[in-house]
Formats: sequence, structure tokens, C-alpha cells
Amino acid sequence: MLETLLASETTGDLLVLFHRNPGLIDTLDSIARRIGRTGNAIEEDVRSLVNLGILKTKRIGRSEVLLLDRARDREVLDTIAKHLRNLEGVEKIDNTKF
Amino acid sequence: MLHGGFMEGDTVMVAGSAGCGKTTLALQYLVNGVKLGEPGVYVTFEEMPDQIYRDAKNLGWDLRKLEEENKFRILCTSPNLLLESEGESLLDESLHDIQPRRIVVDSLSHLAMFVKESELRREAYRLIMHLKTKGISSLLVWESPQMAGGSFSVTEVGLSFLVDCIVALKPVEIESSLRKALVVLKMRGSDHDKRLREFQITSTGIKIESAFANYEGVITGSPRKVASEKFMDLFRGAAEKRK
Repeated sequence: MLETLLASETTGDLLVLFHRNPGLIDTLDSIARRIGRTGNAIEEDVRSLVNLGILKTKRIGRSEVLLLDRARDREVLDTIAKHLRNLEGVEKIDNTKF
Repeated sequence: MLHGGFMEGDTVMVAGSAGCGKTTLALQYLVNGVKLGEPGVYVTFEEMPDQIYRDAKNLGWDLRKLEEENKFRILCTSPNLLLESEGESLLDESLHDIQPRRIVVDSLSHLAMFVKESELRREAYRLIMHLKTKGISSLLVWESPQMAGGSFSVTEVGLSFLVDCIVALKPVEIESSLRKALVVLKMRGSDHDKRLREFQITSTGIKIESAFANYEGVITGSPRKVASEKFMDLFRGAAEKRK
């Protein structure tokens, strides 16, 4: 999961955008505009975040919109926090060797 | 000024030029609603929610906390999505989650960028009626750059006729400093203060001050002192010289 989240700068920008603005609901092109990119440029990164469940899609009339899945996002953040805590633990053990 | 506040279920238009306090007034309307047990939704088309959270915090309103408590939601979207009429509505999730009694759309002027001028009134009417049907009081923000001169028109597309109440905000130049004026132009079904009142944006939100009693032409943006006040100034000046 971390590999996907850290895969590209665009994915990082999308994560920051949705975390700072959890109420953002918009089309792919409009979301791209909000981070200064085009729809084509962010399509793949968006798909990865949708596959992870952090973003979800919804149909509003004729448009497909993207939004943050707040519950799933909290789960992912907890998993990452746990992972980082484990890493810290490993580092501490390693430090004792020296 | 409103003789008891806006009426429940009404549609209010807040019109004014950039930087005159429309967003602050709109947020204050929602925060006060939460205090009265009425959850609120803020729909923004341009300004990003993180800026709104930050600016609101400077006024003592913790919107993130209100969101966590399911009393408030910010929706950031494109105007055309709000107008979509087929299938699920953009507001459905928020309506389900927090059952809002108040909603702000900031701003209705942005809708004009997505619909033809001839259709704007019809689309705005549809949006207003959608909210009224659900019993939600709404406040629609309108950016009006040219609110001056003799003909005081708030919008050029007849939206003023669709709303129940119009509050106009206006910067006014008095003695080389910019002050802010507020006036209730229209309020269906209730009496209201007809005077132009000064207001300040304080650390706790908008505070209404006294009326511009000694000035005329305030609505033009360049008011003059009324004749009696000019005479008083001359009299004071003469008295000073005599000293």
C-alpha cells in the first residue's frame, strides 16, 4: 500500500489535496485543475487511489465524480501509522547493536 | 435589522463586491445555525475548504470540529454538478449524514459561467425550489461588482425576484478611508430596517454598527455629508479660529 501512496508526486499531491479538503467532490478534470494538472496526467494515480479505496467514485447525473472515502481513509492512515511505529521499533533495536 | 432574523425556509441573497465580507457573513449564518441546533452545509465552487477552515478559525469558528460532530459540512465542487438533475444529487450524502437546516452556496455567480444567461434564472429557480422542498433555508452569495449609481440593480438576470430576502454589502469611501455598509433591500413577509448600517469584521465575526446618519449618497460609494452636518463643520471651524 505504501508503495502505491509513494508511487509518484501526483499521487502525493492528490492525497494532500483530499486530506486538506475532505469535502471535495468533483470530476477528474476539475480535480486535476485544482492541483494544476490535466485530467490525462492524473488518471492513473486516481485509479490507484480508487483501487486502494481511499477515493471513491459516484455518478452525479451525466458526470462521474471523485470523493474521499473518509472511513477508508482513516483505516489507511491507521495502517500507515502502525507501520511507521513498527519501523521506529526496528530502528531502535538496530541502534542498540552499536 | 431583520426584526427577528431570516425566516425559516427562506432564500436569502447576499450581494456585494469582492472583499466586502460576503463569505464571512455566510459562514456566520451557518455557525449561528449550528448554535441553534440547525446543521449547515457550505457549498464552495472556487475557494478551497482548507482556506475556509483557516479563515474561519481566525474568527473563532472551528469548522473541522463541527464537521467531526456531524453539524457542518463543506462541499467543494463545480457549479455544473450542483445543477445536475438526473439521478443522485450532489447534496444527497450531506443531506443524509447531517440533515442540514441551512445551506450556503458561494457563489451563485459561478453558475452563470456554466449556463446560458437566458437559462440562469430557470436553473437558479430549480435549485432554490429543490432546497425549499426539503425545508432548507438557503443563503446564496452573489458577486456584484457594479452596485453604484442611481439604478441599484443587484443582478442583471432577474435573480432578485426569485429570492425572499436581499442583503447588500458595499464598501464606502468616507474621509479617505474605506468602510463597509450593509442594507436589507428586500424581505418578504416581514418588516426590516431600511437604513444603511455600517458593519465591521471583528475577531468574532460581523458586527453591525450604527446607521450612516450624517451622510447621503452612501449607496453610490462616495457619500457626502448632509447639508446640516456641513454647516455644523463650518460652525465648528469658525469657533476654533476664534479661539
